[in-house]
Amino acid sequence: MDEKTKTELLTLFKNKLNRAMRYYLDTCTRCGVCTKACHAYASTGQVRYTSAYRHELVRRLYKKYFKLQGKVWPAAGEAKVLEDMTIKELYDAAYSCTGCRRCMVYCPFGIDTQMIMSIAKLLLVGASTEPELLTMLADMSIEKGKSMDVFKESFLTGIKKLEGQVVEKWRSEAGETVIPIDVDGADLLYVALAGAHSIIPAAAVFNAAGEHWTLSFFEAVNFGAFVGDPTRTTLILDRIISEAKRLKVKEVCICECGTAFRVMKHLTGPQPFKVSSITEVQARYIREGRIRLDKSIVSDTVTYHDPCQIARNGGIIDEARYILHHLTDNYTEMTKEPKYNWCCGGGGGLVAMGEETLDFRMTSSSIKADQVRKTGAKILSTACENCHTQLGDLNDHYKLGVDVKFLSSMVADALVR
Amino acid sequence: MQTLIYIIMVPMVYAAAAIFVVGIIIRLVVLLRAPANPSTLQIYPEKRPKWLWAIHDTFLFPTVRRHKPVLWVFLILFHIAFLLLFIGHLELFADFQLTQIIAHDIFLGQGFVGLTLSICLLFFLFRRIKSPVREISVPEDYLLLLLLFLTVLFGSQMDWARTWYEYGELTVEDYRAYLLSLVVLKPDLPFATTFSGHSFMLVLHIFFANLFLIFFPFSQLMHSILSLPMNKLRRG
Ligand code: SF4
Ligand code: SF4
Repeated sequence: MDEKTKTELLTLFKNKLNRAMRYYLDTCTRCGVCTKACHAYASTGQVRYTSAYRHELVRRLYKKYFKLQGKVWPAAGEAKVLEDMTIKELYDAAYSCTGCRRCMVYCPFGIDTQMIMSIAKLLLVGASTEPELLTMLADMSIEKGKSMDVFKESFLTGIKKLEGQVVEKWRSEAGETVIPIDVDGADLLYVALAGAHSIIPAAAVFNAAGEHWTLSFFEAVNFGAFVGDPTRTTLILDRIISEAKRLKVKEVCICECGTAFRVMKHLTGPQPFKVSSITEVQARYIREGRIRLDKSIVSDTVTYHDPCQIARNGGIIDEARYILHHLTDNYTEMTKEPKYNWCCGGGGGLVAMGEETLDFRMTSSSIKADQVRKTGAKILSTACENCHTQLGDLNDHYKLGVDVKFLSSMVADALVR
Repeated sequence: MQTLIYIIMVPMVYAAAAIFVVGIIIRLVVLLRAPANPSTLQIYPEKRPKWLWAIHDTFLFPTVRRHKPVLWVFLILFHIAFLLLFIGHLELFADFQLTQIIAHDIFLGQGFVGLTLSICLLFFLFRRIKSPVREISVPEDYLLLLLLFLTVLFGSQMDWARTWYEYGELTVEDYRAYLLSLVVLKPDLPFATTFSGHSFMLVLHIFFANLFLIFFPFSQLMHSILSLPMNKLRRG
C-alpha cells in the first residue's frame, strides 16, 4: 500500500473517532463473554467470527496510529501496521458481521461491534475494495434522487398497474385514489421498497384505516448504510427527508426494512416529522379500532422473527406481538426475550450481495434454522425484507417446511369491514 | 543493593504515581473533547430510570452472571477483594471512622482478602489459555494479570506472615511511617522496611505495583473508569 493511500485511510479512520468509538476501542478486556453471542461463531465454531476477534482487527490499527501504547510498545497490544493484508482481514470481518448487535447485549461494557465494523467498512470504501454491487446500488439510489423527472413517468405508470391488486384486498370508496402519490399536506408519507409486495398490502391497510397518506417516490432501502459509507447514506436519506419536508407530512412510515427504519428513526437526528415503522402504524390502527382483523384466516401455528434493526436496535417489540395476537390464537414465541433473538444472518448487506454470500449465509446461520425448527410453527412471520429473504433461503436450505410471510401482508389478508 | 531499593521505594513510586494520575487525566481529556455520537446507541427494550440500570450493569455485571456464571463469581469476588484492599491501603494513610464501623485490624480480612485475590487472578490467567479466549487475548492481558498477581502475592505474603505466622519484624507502623514520609515529600525508609528479613517482599510488592500503575492509563484497565459511561450508552 502506498503512503498516500495509507494517509487517506488513516484520515478516514480518525474522523470516525468520536467519544463512543474511543470508549469501544479503549475498553475491551478480551474477557470472552461475547463469544457465544455471534450466530456466525455459534454456527461454525470459528473464532474469527467472534465479535472480540473482529474488533481486535480494527483495534490493532487504532493502537498503532492513535494510541501511545501502540507507538511506544506495539508488541503489548499486538498493534499492527496498515497494509494490504489488513484490508483483506477487515473485509472478512466486516462482511461476515451482520451488525445485529447481539454481542452488545452480552458484553459487560456494551461494546458495539457494528460501530467498530463501520470503521472497517469505511476503510474498505476508502481503499475501493468494498463490495462493488452495494456501491453501485447506492449510487443508483442517489442518481434517482438527483434526476427524479426522468424516473417519474415510469414510476407513476408502474404504480398505477398495482392499484387493481390493492383493491382486491380492500375496496376503496368511489373517487378515492388507491395509491396516492405526491399529496401535499398528507398526514403520512409511506416509504416502500421497489417491489409490489412492499406496496400492495400496505396500501390496502392504509386505505382500510382511512389514512390520509401518500407514497414516496423513493425506496426506503439504504445501500449506503450497508456499505458503511456515511456520505452515500446521507445522500440517500436526504431524498426522503426533503420529500417529507416538501409535502409537509406529519409522519414518515418506513416499510418492512430494518436498516431503513433504524437509519431514519435513530441515526438522522431530530426532524420536523415523526418516524414510525409500518408495524407500529398497523398496531396503532388496530388499537384505535381503525382496522379489524379476521382471526380465522390464519389457522396454522405462527411464530415471529424479530428483525435485529427493528427490535433490539429499533425498539419495536411489543407492537408486532400486539398485531399477532389479533391475527391468531395460535402464536408461539421464538425466544423468551426478543433482545436475545438470533440474527437471521442476512443483515449488513449480506442478502443484498445475493448469491455471492449465499454459502456463508447458510453455514453461519444453522443456529437460526435450529431456532426456527424448535418453535414447531408452520408460519414464520417477520417484518424486514432482508430477514424475509434470508429466512426463505434458510427454509429451502435446511428444509424447515415453514411458510415465510411478511407481517404486513398477513394483516392485509385478514382485513375485515 | 540499597541504592536499588531506594530507587524502587522512592523515586519510582513518585514517577509511577505521577504517570498514573497525569496519564488518566490526559486520557479522559481526550475522550471528553471528542464529539459525542450523534445518534443513540441504545439496546431495546429500555428500562427506566436509565441511569440506575446503567449503574446496575456496571457494578453487578448481570450479563456475565447470565452467560458465564463461574467467571461471574470470580469477577465479583475479585472486585470486592480489590475494593477491600484499596480501603486497606487507604487506612495506612490515616484512620477512617467510616471504615472502622466494623472494627478491624489493618489490613482487613486477616489475610483472606489477598488470598481470594490471588486465586481469582490465577483463575483469570488460566482461563485465558483456553480457546476461544486464548485467540482473542493479546500480551497486554497476560502481562496485567501477571503484574497484579505478583503485586498481590508479595503484598499478601507480608500480611500472611504477620497474621498467620506471628512474624513481627515489619509492622503496620513501619509501613505507615514510610508512606507518610512519601506523602509529605520527606522520604524516609524505616530500618525495618529495608533491612528486615521480609523487606524484600515489600520492595517487590512496591516494584510490581509501580509497574502496574505506570501501565494502567495506557491499557484496557481504563475499563474501570469507562464502564459506567459505556453502560449508560447501551441503556440510552
Ligand atoms: S464481552 Fe466485551 S469486553 Fe469482553 S471480549 Fe467481548 S467485547 Fe470485549
Ligand atoms: S454484531 Fe452480530 S454478526 Fe456482528 S459480531 Fe456481533 S453478534 Fe456477530
